[in-house]
Parts: sequence; structure tokens; C-alpha cells
Amino acid sequence: MTEYQSFIGLEIHIRLLTRTKAFCGCRTAFGDEPNTHVCPVCLGYPGVLPALNEEAVEMGYLVARALHCTLASETFFDRKNYFYPDMPKNYQISQFLAPIGRGGYLELALGDTRKRIGIHDVHLEEDAGKMIHRGGSSYLDYNRAGTSLLEIVTEPDLETGEEAEQFIQEFRSLVRYLGVCDGNMEEGSLKCDANVSINVRGSGLGIKTEVKNLNSSKFVKKALSYEINRQQKVLESGGLIVQETRGWDEGKNATESMRTKESAHDYRYFPEPDLPLFRTDGEFLKRVESRLVELPHLRRERFVTEYSLPEEHAAFLCDEKETADFFEEAVRMGADPGTASAWLGADIRRILKRDGLTLEESPLTPTRLAELSGLLDTDRINSKIAKQVVELIFSEDSGPEEIVRERGWEQIRDTGAVEKLVDTVISEQPKAAEQIEAGDLKPVGFLVGQVMKMSAGQADPQLAKELILQKLNNN
Amino acid sequence: MDAWKQLFRDETARSAYESYVSGWEEKIRSFLRFDPDTGLGARERFRDRGEQSPSGPADTESLTDIPFAVKDNIAVEGFPLTCGSKILEKFESPYTATAVEKLLRAGAIPVGKTNMDEFGMGSSTDNSALGKTNNPWDTGLVAGGSSGGSAAAVAAGLVPFALGSDTGGSIRQPAAFCGVYGLKPTYGTVSRYGLVAYASSLEGIGVVTAGAGLLERVYACIRGRDPRDHSSLDPPGETRAAEKRPVRTIGVFDPRKLDMREEVRGVYRLTIERFEKLGYNVREIEIPALEYTVPAYYTIAMAEASSNLARYNGIRYGYRAKGAETYEEMVMRSRSEGFGPEVKLRILLGTYVLRSGFQDQYYLRAQKIRTAIRNGFDASFGGVDLILMPVYPTNAFPHGEGGLDPFEQKLADKFTGAANLAGIPALAFPAGLTGGGIPSGMQLMAPPFEEGRLFAAARRWEEAYPPPRCPGCAETGKWGESRQ
Repeated sequence: MTEYQSFIGLEIHIRLLTRTKAFCGCRTAFGDEPNTHVCPVCLGYPGVLPALNEEAVEMGYLVARALHCTLASETFFDRKNYFYPDMPKNYQISQFLAPIGRGGYLELALGDTRKRIGIHDVHLEEDAGKMIHRGGSSYLDYNRAGTSLLEIVTEPDLETGEEAEQFIQEFRSLVRYLGVCDGNMEEGSLKCDANVSINVRGSGLGIKTEVKNLNSSKFVKKALSYEINRQQKVLESGGLIVQETRGWDEGKNATESMRTKESAHDYRYFPEPDLPLFRTDGEFLKRVESRLVELPHLRRERFVTEYSLPEEHAAFLCDEKETADFFEEAVRMGADPGTASAWLGADIRRILKRDGLTLEESPLTPTRLAELSGLLDTDRINSKIAKQVVELIFSEDSGPEEIVRERGWEQIRDTGAVEKLVDTVISEQPKAAEQIEAGDLKPVGFLVGQVMKMSAGQADPQLAKELILQKLNNN
Repeated sequence: MDAWKQLFRDETARSAYESYVSGWEEKIRSFLRFDPDTGLGARERFRDRGEQSPSGPADTESLTDIPFAVKDNIAVEGFPLTCGSKILEKFESPYTATAVEKLLRAGAIPVGKTNMDEFGMGSSTDNSALGKTNNPWDTGLVAGGSSGGSAAAVAAGLVPFALGSDTGGSIRQPAAFCGVYGLKPTYGTVSRYGLVAYASSLEGIGVVTAGAGLLERVYACIRGRDPRDHSSLDPPGETRAAEKRPVRTIGVFDPRKLDMREEVRGVYRLTIERFEKLGYNVREIEIPALEYTVPAYYTIAMAEASSNLARYNGIRYGYRAKGAETYEEMVMRSRSEGFGPEVKLRILLGTYVLRSGFQDQYYLRAQKIRTAIRNGFDASFGGVDLILMPVYPTNAFPHGEGGLDPFEQKLADKFTGAANLAGIPALAFPAGLTGGGIPSGMQLMAPPFEEGRLFAAARRWEEAYPPPRCPGCAETGKWGESRQ
């Protein structure tokens, strides 16, 4: 049986969160009335010139730096010439000869090992407009034309659909952490195309196909797994791979040929004469460096070791930088990491989703979370009460201490008081008491429940259980 | 200048002026659109908006109420921006070029848009798809190009100054053909924002005037770094007044070694003698790389043009072919029907020289020649303060068959194209009349940012050899009295 090796390279485009477009002062708002965020420049009117958005350049260098690329000390733009209806100038201002960053990598944690996925280059370019087909006509909305895009091209170092999915997720996390892109694949702020080939192991790259329409990380995995499998079947049956573009069809669960890839389009690249060389100076590089943050996968690892958290908890907390920041701030304020992480991952997460809020928008603050943790960790409240407290933090926008104090919810831990309740319950439940005395411990939970009910949940359940056993089952 | 200022303050003067213009226009057709009221409106709107000009204070006093013409590839809101082409024949500009904005802020009034070779491609203005312009000195001759309309309007006394653009000689050559002054500034010193792009790395907005002093004043107004044009810049350090470093030596080429008509050679020799008489030292120089001016210029210009003109596809503005069934058909027909033959030629050749596999041979090589030419000038300016050269191998030639064919015209750009390749400033000035009473012009070139030297020399020349005005050109203010 021939052993095949697969090669996947990704071309990722991210829409940068700059205030204005790449080469003009139009705002980058989306979803508005068509052609309302346009000007002569991004419409490609006669006589206009591009003016470089330095915020976009800075974000580009930030991503390149985070991906360990060699940063260009001098970068410039090239014109990529081709005709298409959504292109206002029928050339795209892009980068070809001197991209912002080259030769970097992103590390993936695969089980116990780490794999470095090479980054070929990072470069800046402008987006085209949007074409809409309706009722036999085509319409053009240029709101998106001229917005800043950053293109990241990887080396063909990925081998499976799973790896590609993980890469996309990791990369998405990274750009969200850096604050340069919201990473929303459904809305198109992060787009991914793939080049896939297989070959007999040790023979280098094979003939590649381009796979498009990968609108979610899940599709990335499914489509690329399918494509590798398809190519293998073709080769095994003695056929040759056709170099073409294929699209993932979710309905058919397959990649379908979109068009035969003609010999590479001649874009006639030449340096953009309207924009001078961009030179990075000390100031600029310092600014880029100051915007670097601890990257998601490194932060995850640190959370596991530093806070002794299970991996899934660390992963959840580090999925969004805001959550990780919130968590660490709470810990700084005295929260127990385990407690804070458990509550963030369960009840708090559920309420945020239910109410459609982000942590930042919510009434929960790191201080309040630390308070809650304090109450729980010192057994002043039990987890059942804690759940109610959390709900009230959200609905009343007040702190846990206050809530507990107002309602007198502190756990009843006084042995005497609990004993009184236990005695009452035992007397009211003679059948269960008899069972326990006889050695059958099954009804203990039920009796504890009765004590809780009678105390409106405030009795210390541990203490209640101890006392019940003490009184009824002294062996 | 005061007489010009009266124009829009005095009904009688204005009326006489407009008759004067109509009279001339029947003979020369320099304007594609003559409309002072729209110009007045542009100035008022600009003032009303309280907009500040993008950079620098303007020389307000001397340009207030002065009328001027604008080549039709420079945007003025409210006026058409046809570029002499059918593809933009009905296009009206929604914004104003920075250079024009500065003039508006200074109080000047754009009275109309002038004719030009289509998209700046040509040396006669006969490549305009919207009509011919005739040389005011002899209507059987071309006005030169591509800023022929601007030069003709100034020569006929219709405006005291006009804006044009110079990509390979397009201000200097028509200025020479029409017996007026034409300035091609240092690349980047005047914002290109609002100049319809033909060859981005070669071209710029420049000025045509009937006198050297006004040339300097208008340039002072329109120059300056513009945040909307990232290729624009201010001169580094202090702009040196010509007086600080006196212009002493002028470099000239051996007249026998330059290929040109005898009458032009004669004027070149005479001009050299006259500068010597004025006290300048004249020294012979050589710049061997200049032999490759034309191929380098056209390779780069056409390459950039093929890209710059790709935007004209009939979708957002401009001519759209009717009845097309598909996008491809619409674009192909709009461009085929909308562009003239010279434009199509340059787009095709430009696309060719950028093709992968050919770029090294053509485009990159041309850029290397360009560097060699620039180095050649730098070296020469080490020994001379200015360089004197003819503008064109012929004077104004006849329309049609009797003139230069398109290929000959391209070869004839050898004297002007060099300054564009090197980015240096050049000033064309009237150097005398030849046998048939036709103007002959010469040009001075200076190192980058040294326009001051050009103005100083031009002023001295003008003092000593005041150029004749075109027959029928009225004295300013005396529009009613002229007989054309």
C-alpha cells in the first residue's frame, strides 16, 4: 500500500479594524446603505490618489511580529493589475516584492508535541467592492472597496484537515488578542482559501488544487479532509490530479470543481508610483512592540502551570483575551483560580449567553467575582446560594457581599442550629430514619435535602449530613 | 494685472472681454468649455465652505480676481473633466484638484477648461476626440500638445495664465509653439491630486503664462506638500532665492550634434549667443544617456498608462456602450468605442512591456536608463547652474498630412522627455520668431527644487528680449479695440 503525504497551505485574508480605509478617509462601517461610505478615491474616479493609512501598516507589522516574521525595514506597494467589476481601479494596490513580513511561524500544540507551521509572508492590500446579483442584473456596493486587508500565506506545512482547523482557530484567537481583527468567518472578516496536494511520501509536493468557500473552521476541516481523501482515491486508481479550483459544498459534503485553474493570471505587478517607500524607524517599531501581547497558546500553557487549571478550563478562559484578562484581574483581587475559572466557565457563561452580554458589558466585575470566590471558599455560602447570588449580581447590579447580607443568606454553620433542623426532619421522616438506622444509607441525601428545604437552602449541607449520620448511623 | 482684475468688477469690461474671446475662439477653439460664471461659483463655493487649502499660505494679493484657464485633465468641481476623450465627454468632476483649490483660495477665477490631446497623449492637441485647436499665430498650424488649448488661450490673450500638465513635454512644447512661457516644475512640488493620471511617475501640473514674473507667482501659489498626494513634497531646507547663489554658467549641447530642423538650430545658436551677451558663461556639456530618452520615456509612460486607464470601464462614470449583453462585452465595447486610436496604442504597448517574462527586458531596463539620465544631469549640474536645450526639433507644424506623423512626434520628444525622466524642473521661453513669423521656443533646466534659477534667468531674458505678442492679441483691458 503506497504511503501518501499530504500538504496543505493556507491563504488567509483578515479585515483590519482600522477606523478608516486603507487609502482614503472613508469609515469602515459595514452593513449600511450601499455606497454611503465612499469617496472619489475609493471609487477610483479620474485624478484621485491613494493616501496610505498608517494604522493599517502598524497592524500589519504587529501581526507579522506576532508570527515571528522577519520585518521589512523598507516596505512598498505594488499594483496587481486585472479587470473585474468590483475593482474600482481595475488594479489592486497590494504588495508583491517587499511584503511587511516574511519567514515566520505559528506553533500548534498537537497532543504532546508542537508543530511549527511556516508563514511565507504577511502583506497589506485593499479589498474590492461587493457585487450583488438580483433579478437578472448585477449591482455594485463600494462600501467595502478600499478597506484594509492583511493577507497571511502559510507554507504547505499542514497535513490534515484537523491541523488546518486548529491553525485557523489559533490564528483567529491571535488576531483577536492583538485587537486587529474580529475574526468573524461567517461575516467574512476572516477568509481562508487552501492549496492542497498529496504525493508519495518523500517525493515532495504534488499537483495542488485550490479549495475555496471555507466559511468556518469546521468547513476547513471537513473540506480539506475530503479533498485529501479524494486526491488519494484519484492517484490510487491511476489517475492524475487536475490543477483546478474547487469549492466546498456543505450540502453535498464534497468539494466540487469551480473552474479549471488557467495558467496563473499575469498580474503585471509593478511598484505603485503614487506611494513612496515606507521606512520603519525606531519609534514605529517601539509602538509595534508595545502592542504585542502574550499570545493565546502561551497564555493557555501558563494558566495550566501557574494556576493549576485543567486544560479545558485554560482553553476556555484564553479563548478570548477579555476573559483571560478578567480572570487574572479577579485572581489578583483575591479570587481562587479554581473557583473563579469554574464559575466563569459554567453559570456566568450561561447567563452572558442568555442575556446577550459580553463580560465587559455585564455587571460582573473582577472584584465582584473575587468576592464571590471569597464567600464560597470560606464556606460562608454554598454553591446553591452562590447560583442565586450570581443571578442577582446580574439583575440587580450589586456585589455579592451586599446581596448575601441583605438577604441574610450566609450559611447556617452553627452546629446547634443545624442540629435543631436535623432533629425536626428526623422526626418528620420516621421511615427514612429507620432505613438509615438499619444500615441503608440511601435516604441520607433525601434527608439532607429536607434540611436544606426547611432552611431555605442556607444550612451547611455537609454539616447536616454529618449530623444525620451521627444521629442515625453511629457505626 | 490690474486690467485683468477689472474684468469681473466691470460689466462693460466683461462684455468686451467675452466678445473678444468668442471672436478668437471661432478661429482657434482653445476651450472645450468657456464658462466664467461656473468659475465664479467654484470660487464662491470654496470660500463658503470655509475650507482651508491643504497646505501653505497663498499669494493672495496678486492673484485675486485674476481669470485663468485649466487644462481639461485637471479637476474643477462643476466643470467637465473630459481629458479630450469621448470616454469622459459627459463627465463632470465632483471635486477640485488641490492646485486649483489653492488658486481659488487666492481669489483667482477659473473661466474654462481647455482642449488637449486625449488623456495627454500627443504633441499637437489634434489627438483630442472633441475637436481641433489651432495655433493663434497661424490657424493652419497645431498649437502643440498635449496642453495646446492652454498655450493657445494664453497666446491669444484670453487669460493671463493657464494650468497644464507635462508628462513628456506637454506644457513646454505647446508653450514653445505658441510663443509663451511654460513651466514644468520639479516632480512632486505641485500636488497631482486632481490631475487625471496618465504616467504617474513622470507627470505634474505646470503653468503657462505670457510673462516670466507671473509664472513665478502662480507657481508659488500652487506648490506645496499635499496630504492627499503622498508623492508630493516641499523642497528640503530653505528654498534658495536665485540671488543667494547667482546663476553664472549655462551648459549647452553642441548644436551640430542635436538632430533638429535648421531653423530651430539657428534659434538655438542665437539663444546661446544672447545669453553670453547677457553675461552668462556658456559651457558645452554632454550627457550620453540622453540618447535613450525616447525609448525609456515611452516604455515607462505607456506601462503606467495601461494601468492608470484601466479604470475607465463605463461602470461608475463615463461612456458606457449601449446594448451590451454581458459585463465583458460592455467593458470591451465601452473602451473600444470610447478611446481614440493613440490611447489604445499606448494601452496595448504598455500592457505588453509589463508582461511577465518581458518586464526585465523593457520596463526594468527603461528604469535603469532613467537612473542613468538622472545621474547624467546630476553630474552636469556639478559644473553648470542651468542647462539650455531646444524644446522640439521643429516649430509648430501643420495639421494633418503636412505635419509630423504619430511616430515622428514620439521621436521628437527627445528634448523634453529627459526632464520628466529625471524629475527636474524645466522652463520653456519664447526665443524669437522664425522666417514665417512663427514662434520658436527654447528651454532651461535646473537641478531639483531650483526653480528660482529658472525664473531669474527667464526674467533677465525677458527684460533683454521681450517676446512679441501674437498678432491680434489685445492688450489687456483693451479687448474692444483689437482687430483679429
